[in-house]
Amino acid sequence: MNYSIVAENLTKKFGDFTAVDSVSFKVEKGEIFGFLGANGAGKSTTIRMLCGLLEPTSGDAVVGGFSIMNEPDKVKQSIGYMSQRFSLYNDLTIEENIEFFGAVYGLKGKLLEKRKKWVLEISNLIGKERTLTGDLPGGIKQRLALGVAVIHKPKILFLDEPTSGVDPISRRNFWDLINRFSDEGTTVLVTTHYLEEAEYCNDIILINAGRLIAEGNPQRLKTEYIDGNAFEIETENPVELMDILKKAKFIIDVSIFGKKIHVITKKQFEKPDELENYCTQNEFKIDRITRIVPTLEDVFIHLLEHGSKNAQQN
Amino acid sequence: MKGNGFATVIHFIIKEFQQLKRDPKMLAIVLAAPVLQTIILGYAATFDVNNVDFYLLDRDKSSVSRKYVEKIINSGYFTIKGNTENYEEIENAIMNGKAVIGLIIPREFEKDIENNNGTKVQIIVDGSDGNKGSIAFGYIQAITAAYAKTILLDKIERNGIRVPLKSVNAETRIWYNPELKTRVFMVPGITALLLMIVTTLLTSLAIVKEKEFGTLEQLIVTPIKPWQMLLGKILPFTTLGLIMILLVNSVMIFWFGIPIKGSLLFFFFASLLFILSTLGIGLFISTVSRTQQQAMMVTVFGAMMPMIYLSGFVFPIENMSRIIQYVTYIIPLKYFITIIRGVILKGIGIADLWQETLILALMGALILFLAAKRFHKRLE
Amino acid sequence: MLNRIKAIAVKETRQLLRDVRMMGVIFLFPVFLLVVFGYAINFDVQHIQLSVLDRDNSPESREFINSLLSTDYFDLVTYLKSDREIREFLDRKKAQCIAVIPSNFSNEIYRNEVAKIQFLIDGVDGNTATIIMNYVNAAVASYSNNLNYEFLSSRGIKLSSSVSLEPRFWFNPDLNSTRFLIPGLIGMILIIIAVVTISLSIVREKERGTIEQLNVSSIKIPELLTGKAIPYIVIAFINAGIILAAGYLFFGIEVKGSYLWLLISTLFFLAASIGIGILVSVIADSLQVAFLAGTLISLLPSMLLSGFVFPIESMPYVIRIFSNVTPTKFYIVCLRSILLKGAGIEVFWEQLLYMVIFTVIVVVAASKIYNKKQLKELSS
Repeated sequence: MNYSIVAENLTKKFGDFTAVDSVSFKVEKGEIFGFLGANGAGKSTTIRMLCGLLEPTSGDAVVGGFSIMNEPDKVKQSIGYMSQRFSLYNDLTIEENIEFFGAVYGLKGKLLEKRKKWVLEISNLIGKERTLTGDLPGGIKQRLALGVAVIHKPKILFLDEPTSGVDPISRRNFWDLINRFSDEGTTVLVTTHYLEEAEYCNDIILINAGRLIAEGNPQRLKTEYIDGNAFEIETENPVELMDILKKAKFIIDVSIFGKKIHVITKKQFEKPDELENYCTQNEFKIDRITRIVPTLEDVFIHLLEHGSKNAQQN
Repeated sequence: MKGNGFATVIHFIIKEFQQLKRDPKMLAIVLAAPVLQTIILGYAATFDVNNVDFYLLDRDKSSVSRKYVEKIINSGYFTIKGNTENYEEIENAIMNGKAVIGLIIPREFEKDIENNNGTKVQIIVDGSDGNKGSIAFGYIQAITAAYAKTILLDKIERNGIRVPLKSVNAETRIWYNPELKTRVFMVPGITALLLMIVTTLLTSLAIVKEKEFGTLEQLIVTPIKPWQMLLGKILPFTTLGLIMILLVNSVMIFWFGIPIKGSLLFFFFASLLFILSTLGIGLFISTVSRTQQQAMMVTVFGAMMPMIYLSGFVFPIENMSRIIQYVTYIIPLKYFITIIRGVILKGIGIADLWQETLILALMGALILFLAAKRFHKRLE
Repeated sequence: MLNRIKAIAVKETRQLLRDVRMMGVIFLFPVFLLVVFGYAINFDVQHIQLSVLDRDNSPESREFINSLLSTDYFDLVTYLKSDREIREFLDRKKAQCIAVIPSNFSNEIYRNEVAKIQFLIDGVDGNTATIIMNYVNAAVASYSNNLNYEFLSSRGIKLSSSVSLEPRFWFNPDLNSTRFLIPGLIGMILIIIAVVTISLSIVREKERGTIEQLNVSSIKIPELLTGKAIPYIVIAFINAGIILAAGYLFFGIEVKGSYLWLLISTLFFLAASIGIGILVSVIADSLQVAFLAGTLISLLPSMLLSGFVFPIESMPYVIRIFSNVTPTKFYIVCLRSILLKGAGIEVFWEQLLYMVIFTVIVVVAASKIYNKKQLKELSS
């Protein structure tokens, strides 16, 4: 198998605080690889180490065939990076930003012209070349930043929460672009905390408190990491119901989704009747109950709450 | 795709200029403020003391005392602000800042002089108001000494001594600045100071600004090398600095009429070395600071103020206490000021100033080296 | 209204306290600078580097040199051997003053003819040169007089100096220039801290867009600015206290006058300085411009235009008008009156008034410019 990124025991400490605790994973060529986790879980720190922005305290990773510890300069030629913060020059025009970063990557002459056009095209900014970048709205800025990050057609693209603060339509367009790059053979490593975005990924890892707690494709995560059955209950009063359900011994997890409640029961409880009975016993009225395939969200909430236990089992 | 050396640097420079262009206010300040300040401050910087206000209490009111006062007034340095009968009034005038000097001529002034008893004129000087008091006192001392001499000669003549007296005279010649103008001394210093302020100030933000805006992060992941970035940062500011050198020195030469006696070429060479050292200091601060605010505070208090006070710009280094004199050795402005005063006023060149020039060059190289070393291509 | 001001002030204080490094810079640097600069700034010319070219080499010439050196003002660097060395010594700043004693010096004295000694003085620093010249003249005159008194008394005529001065230096008895310079230094340090910190804090919110957040809340601009100014005034005020304490500990500058008035005038001064900072931050849109403008307006003018170093009375009329751009000018008068003279309000009430007027003008100008900018933004 051909890997674009191989991380081995990557660890980063800031003083006493361990931000990333010996994380290892492999990313295949051309796949979209998702990095999930809550804010502060260590996603950005990991991605920054892979890009050569931070030096690992220990461990190493091979990115595009080069070690980030020993040959960070060589790594840089083959990667593109877009951070969660907008990081182009606000006081340059769109065109000037593109030309500058293109030149920094060693593009020039006709090739630079061609790529510039291409970037303008994919970020939908043709005709706005002379606009000051600072005057653009947030979503468009992000597209431009993505375009600039791939101006040199990198083999590997790192996106650190690229869609935070972007409206749903722009986000959709954004993912279309990411898919396009992936189809063209670019490996994309993306961090996010939007779980529906994780569904677009070929592979996912979940990080919590600096540790890797789950990995696999979304399908596998949903089936393998939950040791029970999932049900969805509709009710007028979900908060109260949740309190009641939490007391039940056969239930592993309860979480609220608007007016619905997702429940994960122990393996032997397979039918909705038992749950319904439990509710009526407790004099609680429910509208509907159905057995469902767990969503990623169920999986993650489950993993985050029982994470350490499962991690040990793995 | 290679990180092809100087091409990248040039693109970096283009980028810097494009950004400068976007901020016309800053460009205006950078170019206009030093010119204006050179003019205004150039006129302000004079130690000359004239128009000293004084109060008089003449208790003798004789023709001799009047003659003495006349001599003081005719010197041109003093303006009589009050002629009083009352000692307290003199005290009040000095307390209130109405007079710098109070002159009290004793009752038996004329008689004592006549009888060879010697007389004492009391003089009260306000020592709180800058140098004025001591300089004014110096004037009065000289006037009094001259007056005493005429009296003495007068008496000797009346004693019938005809032989010429012994006499030793000092013949002072002031070199380089015969009219003893403060301006020719201060204006070159002011131009140097303004150069220093603007160049350190600009570069002190150069890197930390990109750090704060997140653009540095974007740059670090590209194949650009640290030296390319630093060079890309320095060269535009050096250009700006060179324009400033031309501007402020034009003001000095054409507005104030202070010509450069020595070699113009050497003068510009030294100026270039100097701004390289100040740019280096700015860059160094920029690489070690985390926020723009920190960079600014350190620049003002850690770099500019020491340069101003310890360079010999206003306060002569020879007057400083010994330990502080050692501290001045690390101030690049000190060497630069010695150089430009030498070139402008003395007309000397590299033959006499090679030591200062060398130190300046070494300091510039060292600080730029340190900045480059501090500037790793990683965050943190 | 008070509530909102308080909210802003509390927020600002919290942010300030969070930045420990910054706090260190704000509180420690000024004291450190005051102490270092306090030892550096003075105009007391002592230890003048003297070289002698003695062509006579007689007992008289040696006696003369000894009389020069005994004044404590001169330090003998070396005896020169030839004319050629004169230029070298002056050019390279190895000597500040060179005495050339002619070969017929002792003969002329014997024959009661006028003996001339040439003094070549480095005039680059006009101020120091003037002082050296005065010392030289005084020393030679007294040497000459002593020769005469001896000569006359050998003939049986007893004469003594007829008029002498009995000086009293008020407020600064030993005419130590550091004493009257320290108030200026205090003013300068304070104004820089005030201007730079407040303008940076406001412009930073502009740059980060947090000011928009505040704008949409119901808070009004005067409330916002007052709230922002309060913590900085408090900080600058604490700073003032620390600096004054350091001034007392290290330089023996005690408060002779009223503490109350010291407090009030310091408050007025800080209000005026903060006003400048606000004006700067209204004009500037980026930290860079704010920093540049703030430094240029507070650093050099408060040193050169305020009467701190150069007497305002000696400046040309137009420049005297310009000198009002820095409130340090008024504060220095207050400080010198309170610290050195121990004078009461009657001496400096005008200065307090000027500072109030200054503050009002600056704040009004700032809000006018702000409103204009808002309009522009709305219409675009």
